[in-house]
Amino acid sequence: MPRWMGAHPHLGSTLLAWRNAFRYRRGRTLSAAVLLVVGFGVAAVLPPTGPILGWLGSNWAVSFVIATSAFTLSTARRRQRASIAAATSWLAPLPTGSPVWLQVLGGTAGWLAGIVAFGALVWLLDMIGRRDFSRLAFAVAAGAVVGLLAGWRLPRAGIGAPGFHYASVRRARARWASAPSLAPLANWPAAQGRIFSRPRKSAPALLLPMLAVPMGTPGQAALAVAGVCMVLFSVSSLTVAAVRVAFDAARWLAPTTVGKWRFAAALIWRATLTQTLALAVLILLAATIYPHRAVAVGLPLAALGLCASWVAALLAASWACRREGLGAAGRGA
Amino acid sequence: MGEPMPDTAGTGDAQSQVLLVCGLHAGYDKLIVLKGMDLEVARGEWLALLGPNASGKTTLLHCIAGMLLPSAGSIALCGHPLRREAMAAKRALGFGAAPETLPNLLTGRQCLEIYAAAKGLQAIDSDVLALAEEFSFSPMLDRFVGSYSLGTKQKLAVLLALLGEPALVVLDEAFNGLDPASALVLKRHLRARVSARRCGVLLATHALDVVERYSDRAALLLDGRIAREWTGGELAALRAAPGEGLEVALAAACAGA
Repeated sequence: MPRWMGAHPHLGSTLLAWRNAFRYRRGRTLSAAVLLVVGFGVAAVLPPTGPILGWLGSNWAVSFVIATSAFTLSTARRRQRASIAAATSWLAPLPTGSPVWLQVLGGTAGWLAGIVAFGALVWLLDMIGRRDFSRLAFAVAAGAVVGLLAGWRLPRAGIGAPGFHYASVRRARARWASAPSLAPLANWPAAQGRIFSRPRKSAPALLLPMLAVPMGTPGQAALAVAGVCMVLFSVSSLTVAAVRVAFDAARWLAPTTVGKWRFAAALIWRATLTQTLALAVLILLAATIYPHRAVAVGLPLAALGLCASWVAALLAASWACRREGLGAAGRGA
Repeated sequence: MGEPMPDTAGTGDAQSQVLLVCGLHAGYDKLIVLKGMDLEVARGEWLALLGPNASGKTTLLHCIAGMLLPSAGSIALCGHPLRREAMAAKRALGFGAAPETLPNLLTGRQCLEIYAAAKGLQAIDSDVLALAEEFSFSPMLDRFVGSYSLGTKQKLAVLLALLGEPALVVLDEAFNGLDPASALVLKRHLRARVSARRCGVLLATHALDVVERYSDRAALLLDGRIAREWTGGELAALRAAPGEGLEVALAAACAGA
């Protein structure tokens, strides 16, 4: 092992982990890299890319403000993540310096390099002019430096409460011992959905739609946008939660005799019901303002979303049963 | 102190056999862990599965629980092949899940209810509820599993495994994290079930005191195969012998294999 690794064990272990990932999962790593490069290229040749980057290059002050805001937030978050990781790492008891600043600097430099490389690719493809590219690159670089300094100085939040603090304990069924039921299984995705849509997660999702509200919009309209976004975020969180929980629940119940469809129904009924009620209330509220549009646009969209969510949860439950060997899909030889 | 071991243990006929593993091969991707395992457990028998770390004990238990697909060999629970008659085989099984796999976002009471329903039970067994009382687990029933300590999660895993009067109880390091009083309660409870021929127990463990005092038979898993077995009589002799007894015998068996 090189001597410098002994002095910087955090960095050394990260590099070794990357090397191992490349050595032992070469196919997966190379595929991911190829996908990334292809995605990069496709995004560069998309028709709106050139005009958007050209506009950002000619309005460099706007680019600078956007870059500063983004890098400030990302630096603050990266610093918080790195601090928590350093404090809870298996290497934390070692008498070596913390690598937080290096991780923050490395992350910022990586993103900056990626953005500038993307801009350069678009310029090389002759989709923006040299002047626009250099202005854009300069504005983003300046924004990254200012954002790095500002983000480093932002106050940091704590580690945060464990996930179950965001869920509430449901009252036990009166006949839980004399007539056990699978129904409480539905509480698991519901609780996981609450964790996914907790304020720390929903706030950034709310930020972008709120920024998109034009100046001069009445207060009640802005509040309505915020409300709709929150409802949609929590509805989609429930879908993601149901999909994720399906695998853990199937693994936990694999040694039992529960059947696939009974398991799937027990797992997703509450999430589906909550989503249906939330969207119904949303459409009803919208119908009080725009009756025709709420029914003509909102109803089909809600139905489509619900169907997609239901199918995703059902497919996940079915796949989880198969993968984990639940019920009759036993994996014995 | 455990009860006297029945001399007939380990020699069960086909009717009393609750687990039969023949020529089992299993592993993960290219890593082959079990290389032709043969094992049987009879009703009224407590078999302790010993072996160094990474010898394949948990892999074997996962195969028996139907959670891992073996590449060759057969597993039968109470005469039901796990592959062809999965439901019938699983009906005979009580599997103690690893504490970290328990659902953190459900309460202990919900876990018991769901597991009982998933096993198709009409009611939760009264002796499981009594064991929960003995474990002092009742105050934890309405708290999230995520807030439990390791020992409390272990208690819940054991309670789930014992639901539904399973013919075969499979436990992986079940005494890990348990306080001494709860560990004693569990040892006595399992011993009583086994002695009453209500079930057979397969326990993967490193706790040699449990093996010496409570098991009817012990098997050493080494390099994917059973390398050595100790009968009830041999275990009793080791327990009576001065010095470290089974500890030394186990080390010698591992070194000689």
